[in-house]
Amino acid sequence: MSEKKIKNIFVNGRIEPDFIADSIAKHSNKTAIGGHSIFMGQVRKDEIEGKFVAAIDYTAYEDLALEKMHQIRADIFEKYPLNCMHIYHSLGKVKTGEICLFVFTSSAHRKPAIAACSEVVDRLKAELPIWGKEIFEDETHQWKENT
Amino acid sequence: MKIEMISFGKIAEFISNQNIDVDGIADTDAFKQYLENQFPALKSMKYKLALNKNIVQENTTINNNATIAIMPPFSGG
Repeated sequence: MSEKKIKNIFVNGRIEPDFIADSIAKHSNKTAIGGHSIFMGQVRKDEIEGKFVAAIDYTAYEDLALEKMHQIRADIFEKYPLNCMHIYHSLGKVKTGEICLFVFTSSAHRKPAIAACSEVVDRLKAELPIWGKEIFEDETHQWKENT
Repeated sequence: MKIEMISFGKIAEFISNQNIDVDGIADTDAFKQYLENQFPALKSMKYKLALNKNIVQENTTINNNATIAIMPPFSGG
């Protein structure tokens, strides 16, 4: 495994569109990059038995999640010729319509960036110990399960 | 044998974080048995354990002062 230090991916609450814009802007001096791929997860207003989701409250086993993400990051860098990769996931409450996940990969040509971005999202959903509690408009809740 | 138990997601709603001191729990299979006896609601649920921050894939020996996390299916993203 890489010796690089474990990066934090967690953000309190929603991920701000301005933060995403700044993150894109920061790459303008990385001129070897020719393609970026971005995935953003947004909290959906699901209807379950007549009730609508108002927010998702995220919790995580943070230490384990960051270690696992570190491994995934190393695997992805080994598999694809990427210039860089950034991952942010919300903790705490994120309302419907707000962004809860931001994955950003960059490479010289588009295909590795697109494939890596998609694989990171798949692996993150399957392997990171993060839980989403769907809070309905009437304050009742149910726990989300990734399929 | 001292074990620190931490739980997450919907499991945290009925198992609080706690330290237990029990004899006869040598491995993770025995720990699961103990858990399901103490908390019968777990029997019908899918869950995974993490022993000292390693996700348990097969029966593993538990040492004294271990930390075991009890985790329902993940739902990040």
